[in-house]
Amino acid sequence: MKSRNRDSYDSDLTLWEIGPYHGSLPAPMRMSLSLDGEIIASCKVETGFLHRGLEKTCELHPWQAVISYADHLDPEVAVFGELAVCLAVEEIGDIEIPPRAKSIRIILCELSRISAHLTFIVRMAKAVGSETIIHYVLRDREKILDLFELLTGARFSLNFLRFGGVNADVTDGFIERVLEVCEMIRIRMREYNDLFTFNQGFLNRTSCLAVISPELIRTCGITGPNSRAAGNPFDIRKNAAYLGYDELDFEVPVGRGEGGSIGDVHDRFLLRLREITQSMEILKQIAEAVPIGNYINPNIEKGYVVPAGEAYSRIESSRGLLGCHVVSDGKSNPSRIQFRPPTLANLMAVSYLVPGIRIEDLPVVLSSLDLGIAEADR
Amino acid sequence: MTSGILWVISWCDSIGFPSDLPQWFYALVALICIFCFVVVPSGALLTYMDRKLSADLQARVGPNRAGPSGIFQPLADLLKLLQKGSKKEWHWGENLWLGVHTMALYSTLAVMPLGSLALLVDTEVSAFLPYWSALVLALGTMLLGLSQGSVPGWFGGIRVAAQTLAGSFPALVALLCASVRAGSFKWSVLAASQGFSPWTWTVASNPFETIAFGVFVISGLVLLAIPPLDGGLSTSDIHGGVSSHLYGRRLSLYLFGRFYGFFLWSVITVVLFLGAWRLPLGLSESLAESESYKLLAIIELVLLLFKTLSLMLLITWVARVNSRSRVDQITDFTWKVLSPFSLVALVGASICAGWRAFS
Repeated sequence: MKSRNRDSYDSDLTLWEIGPYHGSLPAPMRMSLSLDGEIIASCKVETGFLHRGLEKTCELHPWQAVISYADHLDPEVAVFGELAVCLAVEEIGDIEIPPRAKSIRIILCELSRISAHLTFIVRMAKAVGSETIIHYVLRDREKILDLFELLTGARFSLNFLRFGGVNADVTDGFIERVLEVCEMIRIRMREYNDLFTFNQGFLNRTSCLAVISPELIRTCGITGPNSRAAGNPFDIRKNAAYLGYDELDFEVPVGRGEGGSIGDVHDRFLLRLREITQSMEILKQIAEAVPIGNYINPNIEKGYVVPAGEAYSRIESSRGLLGCHVVSDGKSNPSRIQFRPPTLANLMAVSYLVPGIRIEDLPVVLSSLDLGIAEADR
Repeated sequence: MTSGILWVISWCDSIGFPSDLPQWFYALVALICIFCFVVVPSGALLTYMDRKLSADLQARVGPNRAGPSGIFQPLADLLKLLQKGSKKEWHWGENLWLGVHTMALYSTLAVMPLGSLALLVDTEVSAFLPYWSALVLALGTMLLGLSQGSVPGWFGGIRVAAQTLAGSFPALVALLCASVRAGSFKWSVLAASQGFSPWTWTVASNPFETIAFGVFVISGLVLLAIPPLDGGLSTSDIHGGVSSHLYGRRLSLYLFGRFYGFFLWSVITVVLFLGAWRLPLGLSESLAESESYKLLAIIELVLLLFKTLSLMLLITWVARVNSRSRVDQITDFTWKVLSPFSLVALVGASICAGWRAFS
């Protein structure tokens, strides 16, 4: 810790550096805090501790291997990285995706979204020291990982999407089990609300804390649940639909300020609960009408080489807008792959949101932003 | 010599000790007996029950390895911690803390009320002594934090001090409420003013005593930083605060001190508000008349421990299903809500006591 330097003598502030590994940080990162007593006066965020050279690695490997590397963009929600790459490549190659493959992709995406939001609840509960709800939510999340295993053979790092479709068709009984899990989570959501969401202690810790304003959304480019919790109804699934999301009937929830202020930590928490509900609605609609047909475009061969060209895909990941810029020069490996992860914008917002809060609230605020350092550092 | 030591004398005589031993020797034996046969087993039992209850609440298995149903898990944990020595040289500040902590820990053993025949110190200031010792225990915890030489320790120590200051005032006033009803601060009188039936307990005697009970329990949690009001010790921003650098034997001593504070406060709460060790149907008197002192002491102790551990489990259950509050929220609540309520309770309890005296 740097307790004193010349600046701190002049300003009577204490400097405290935490990280890259610290209990209040959701992932490896470093924060330089200026403290006025227990109030944070300012903060500087330093990231890069999880840099793996992912984009460069993608460029050095064949096209098919890129999908498995894209898995590791954000290991928690692997399918979104895969999907972003696939959509861009399919646009360059003008590859048609069979309707059945689209449905399977949507099922995977929405299950991943639910899983990610359940993990978010766990992180929030850990930040406020509420132990019991953690075990309930993790128990329920296992059911979703079971579904991943049933469909893809893996619980994490699915490596399941392919250019023009998916790797395999759904197994017998998979759709029924998806519906069963949806029903189970619908019931459990009531328990979560009774035990945690509207618990007075939790409200006291989260209401009117670290409010994201519309100006901050514009300044940092915040998207996803954090932006929607602040009242901005921007969702790529609606605004620039892909995979046939425009044919589905679902709402985009926005923050209502039940905790006291629109865009506060409690709003961000509630919004993710509502998104879980909407994802379950989408899954029910898809499950009722999975089209019959191929699960992958039969014209795409195993060693498919993407023709020269470039494309930029945008999808709605569990953390916000995930963009992927793919450039091909017609060779067996990509010329350039670039990701635009939503966490970058959320990280920028940290230095605006943290000043003025108490250091006890730091873990709560960081958890509420749902930072995925893996995708930010890549 | 108080009646509390008489059972020690008779036990020492039956073992074969000489009959002309000094009084301090008997007092020392009594303290060792209370520590080894009451406090430590209670700590092990409560730790085990806490883990099992938490596991049941959280859809987990809980301890299941050491002994049948994991019953020896607390013992296994203690043995493991005791095997771990210190990696660094002792700092003088930590020695100071250890001294204060130990002093607070063992001084309260002498004044802990554990039954009508187990009152080593039963004077007009008895009820205050554990209270002051709890303050000293909190002071020791604060010194521990300040002696760590790290930010988590400093913040933890200062937060503990803030909580202790905030909680001590309403706790003291609530203690006065119970004493106003009994008309004394002696443990024996405080217990005698209640009966076995819950309707005769101080907590149910009038609404003001009920308020005082609530204030006493909550302010005790604040004073000793017991979950869920342990923001000063356990928030993740300070890595556990004052205990962040402790491990091995020192950690076990620290954890036991924390348990002891919780246990002590719960015992006092039971004696002040929840009927103490009072037995039904005049059993105390009949056993005393038949000179079955050992049996009487054991029954009273079991009843007192049952009530105490039930109260502790109830608090633990509440802690498990609630979020941890921030320190400033805890101190705000204590100063702005608990303190006024405690004063209202004191005024009301005084009026009720006066009314009863004159009617």
